[in-house]
Amino acid sequence: MIDVREGGIWVYAERRGDSFLPVSLELMGKAREIADRLGVELTALTVGRDGGAGAQLRRYGPDHVLELAHPLLTTYDAKAYATAISAELRRSKPSTLLLGATRNGQDLAGRLAIRMRTGLTAHVTALELDDRQNLIGWVPGFGGGIEAGVSCPVRRPQMVTVKPGVFPLPESGTPTGDVTKVVPELSEKDVGSRRISFEPKGSTVDLTRAGVIVVGGRGTGGDFTRIERLAHLLGGEVGATRVATDAGWVERDRMIGQTGVITHPELALVFGASGAVQFTVGIEGANTVIAVNRDPAAPIFDHADLGIVGDLGPVVDSLLRALAA
Amino acid sequence: MVEESKSSVPIRFDDEAWEALAATTNANRCFQCGTCTAACPLADSTPMRVRALIRRAQFGETDPLIWKCMTCAECNASCPRGVDIVGLVRHLRQEKWRTREVPKGLPTLLWGIYSDGNTFHLPPKDRAAWMKDVKVPGRGSTLLYVGCTASYDPRAQRTARSVAKLLNLAGVEFQVMGTDEVCCGEAARSVGNVGLYDDLQQRNSDAFRKRGVERVITISPHSFDALKVGQSKYGGPQVVHYTQALEELVDSGKVVGTVEKRTVTYHDPCYLGRHQGVFEPPRRLLELSGLTLVEMANNRAQSLCCGGGGGRMWMETDPLERPGSRRVSEAAGTGADLLATACPYCISVFESERGSEVIPVTDVAELVASGAKG
Amino acid sequence: MRIVVCMKVVPRPEEVKVNLETKTLDRAGARSVLNSADMNALETALAFRDAHGGTVAVLSMGPPQFEPYLRVALAVGADEAILLSDRAFGGADTLATSYTLATALPKIGGADLVVCGEESSDGGTSQVPPSIAEWLDASQATYVERIVAGKDGTTVLATRALEDGKETVELVLPAVISVVVGSNEPRFIDYDRWAFAQSAKVKVLDFAALGGDPQYLGLQGSPTRVAGLREVRKPGRRRELVTVTADEAAFRIKAEIERVGRVRS
Ligand SMILES: Cc1cc2nc3c(=O)[nH]c(=O)nc-3n(C[C@H](O)[C@H](O)[C@H](O)COP(=O)(O)OP(=O)(O)OC[C@H]3O[C@@H](n4cnc5c(N)ncnc54)[C@H](O)[C@@H]3O)c2cc1C
Ligand code: SF4
Ligand code: SF4
Repeated sequence: MIDVREGGIWVYAERRGDSFLPVSLELMGKAREIADRLGVELTALTVGRDGGAGAQLRRYGPDHVLELAHPLLTTYDAKAYATAISAELRRSKPSTLLLGATRNGQDLAGRLAIRMRTGLTAHVTALELDDRQNLIGWVPGFGGGIEAGVSCPVRRPQMVTVKPGVFPLPESGTPTGDVTKVVPELSEKDVGSRRISFEPKGSTVDLTRAGVIVVGGRGTGGDFTRIERLAHLLGGEVGATRVATDAGWVERDRMIGQTGVITHPELALVFGASGAVQFTVGIEGANTVIAVNRDPAAPIFDHADLGIVGDLGPVVDSLLRALAA
Repeated sequence: MVEESKSSVPIRFDDEAWEALAATTNANRCFQCGTCTAACPLADSTPMRVRALIRRAQFGETDPLIWKCMTCAECNASCPRGVDIVGLVRHLRQEKWRTREVPKGLPTLLWGIYSDGNTFHLPPKDRAAWMKDVKVPGRGSTLLYVGCTASYDPRAQRTARSVAKLLNLAGVEFQVMGTDEVCCGEAARSVGNVGLYDDLQQRNSDAFRKRGVERVITISPHSFDALKVGQSKYGGPQVVHYTQALEELVDSGKVVGTVEKRTVTYHDPCYLGRHQGVFEPPRRLLELSGLTLVEMANNRAQSLCCGGGGGRMWMETDPLERPGSRRVSEAAGTGADLLATACPYCISVFESERGSEVIPVTDVAELVASGAKG
Repeated sequence: MRIVVCMKVVPRPEEVKVNLETKTLDRAGARSVLNSADMNALETALAFRDAHGGTVAVLSMGPPQFEPYLRVALAVGADEAILLSDRAFGGADTLATSYTLATALPKIGGADLVVCGEESSDGGTSQVPPSIAEWLDASQATYVERIVAGKDGTTVLATRALEDGKETVELVLPAVISVVVGSNEPRFIDYDRWAFAQSAKVKVLDFAALGGDPQYLGLQGSPTRVAGLREVRKPGRRRELVTVTADEAAFRIKAEIERVGRVRS
């Protein structure tokens, strides 16, 4: 039986330029906690063209920071990154490697797990230790209604990718641990892809990928300023029914439904929409729906997890106050 | 080299396209009088010119405006040569599936129909949800075919429940297919996908035979038209619209009842009226229920289209091009208390045009059911 | 160019039941569909073939009951279909699945480009595409929205949708890509191909024909284990309806937002 305590815990800290993604820091916090419980060491691993940036990670409690630096690692490529990282994993034999479930994190993890011939649990939303001190990662499946607890009892390192926002962002503290820079052995043939351009996210509306959508219908009477404030506070987008876009209260590309956009947010807040099927097909894929309508018989309530019967105006005002507090 | 001027470019006649057209439509009867252009409700609000569309089709060209057509058949009704222009539009659309030049969203619609059996991409297991507290005898050779909209749209579900309630009151033995029911295929036909339409007709035919169905009552005029035309090929059951079935029951005294004294105006859905010639049963139902009928100027064969046919329910229409609001105004102009119709698409369209702000919109079956006793 | 599209048949989420006592999933009787992202993968492959020539094969691992679904892919436009089917492949996790698919490729004529969907609706790991790339020692690009041919036929340009923008990478062939769900509109069945699709031979490879290393196949070759299952949300909407004061409503909504907010992607 493999014991987690045999090796340390590693966190892959994903860089954007010279800073690190919040999810990587969240993982540092959680990994420190697990490492302490098991009495093992925590190593933060970072990859890039040069070293240097890794020193920032010392503020999040590692025992070691390992920087892999090479010109061929300037932009992300799964093949090159996996080659560089796997060499270090083979050398140091950590028991665990945690990565953020970002798009590049997922891209890398899938490749690295095979290189290491080990098991990987992806998109984890909760992490536990079993009685043999294997990590159990809970992953949503089947449209989010069911979670499976997945572990990797027989191979090491056990690899897990964790969704952003699952663990709290730790406070930055006094620097700890040492920083080692390693220049991996790499050649052109280790590189599979080359970035040729990057177009930063623009201001185009894309409701299909929004995590939170605040929808206004005819019941808003055209007052979308508070709907917009609410969307802004929640880091989400404004959506609308066709009646609202027809009236010109909101741009057409925010119309949700059969002849509009089909959305899949984590949360949809729906104010003053009756729940016509041409609208509701557009929020069927939402994880959670909350609806406010003054008509207790409005069909929208059949499509809501939480329905509030009442005038939307005062509810929006109270909610804005509650969220700002 | 001298450049050819535009006007001297010879007109090319696409023989193959012409033959395909002549084989499946009667567009070769057209003598280009232009009556249809004037009859088309899109002529006012869009560049649609039906005569020109037919002319282009004769040269093997497809006018992109075919996708705006609501298959309302106002043009068919006007044509002195009996050209089936709706058939021509469907034919031209069918060709566009071959070349994959169809409007965005339509392939997704068809995938939904193909794999979920309905036009909403909703789970087949929810198809019987319309029934709520309604009990169905579940016996007999009469089938109430509910259709996608009345199965899933909460507004139209009320119509389906009203019809079921009236059938129960009259003691009619009937069955429903519940979660086994699949789309009638009208949406597929209207957007020009004959392959899927045929597939659904076959699936429905098999289901009808297995259940020993001899008579089908539909909620939607679109199902009525599609099943009536489609099932005749299989020597299938008799297909009627619910207004026809209910008229018989009221006539024979099996259901009676009066609604409070009010005036009502009736909108003829294109597929019930112009397509299938059913004009009187809904009117008689309203009158037998004690309502006073006031006609709009454009009634029966001259009824104005709401804009929901021809697959337009799945294509966004610019608010300025929607004929529905005009129809609502016309209805309100009669001074009637209510606007009644007998098609779930018409109701969706009128409601979404804020019809109820000027005149309450309702369905014939619901009105009859509200006053009926067995 | 030979393109292979990896497609999975998945149960409809709303029809899968969890047996909380035995902690197993009951998929029996659940209706299935072709995984949604894989339909986008197929469309990507067909559009690329239509523009640049070549052939498209669809490859799937699963029981013989998957065959009709592969015939749908043929009717949509794929040129051939291959099903990897053997009890020995059952219970595979992403390592074993990707190994099986990768091992089959040389047996079915190889591939210049392997196209997968970004993830499956049931497992949802999105690990299979990069894992196939590793087994093949091929280059990879995941979360791709669009591909175009590179200059001399030895590369493709793939545009990836990342959190902070769109990255275009040049990929050396052979390559494996995964396509973002919803990045295109999958073309519908071409009924003119229906007869071909029904009569075409779907090539079936079993364990003997595949000839892989059993230590990476099926349940036995899978390093991960399902330690437990739990239902986090009842299927369907909760439909809780309350009539309360505005302040209390705000409180309730805020609590709900916080509950959801803990798990954000
Ligand atoms: C072809 C076609 C395509 C369509 N496509 C779409 C589409 O893609 N998307 C779409 O959204 N619609 C679409 N529609 C329109 C759709 O049928 C409905 O008409 C529309 O969704 C209704 O919008 P609504 O809910 O905002 O308005 P209504 O149906 O009028 O509902 C307003 C609701 O607000 C409530 N309300 C009013 N005041 C208050 C208040 N002060 N506090 C709380 N509640 C209040 C009322 O009780 C009512 O339930 C389509 C229609 C057609 C015909
Ligand atoms: S069917 Fe109606 S919309 Fe279509 S061309 Fe004829 S009149 Fe115009
Ligand atoms: S009304 Fe009939 S004959 Fe006249 S242009 Fe139209 S289709 Fe042709």
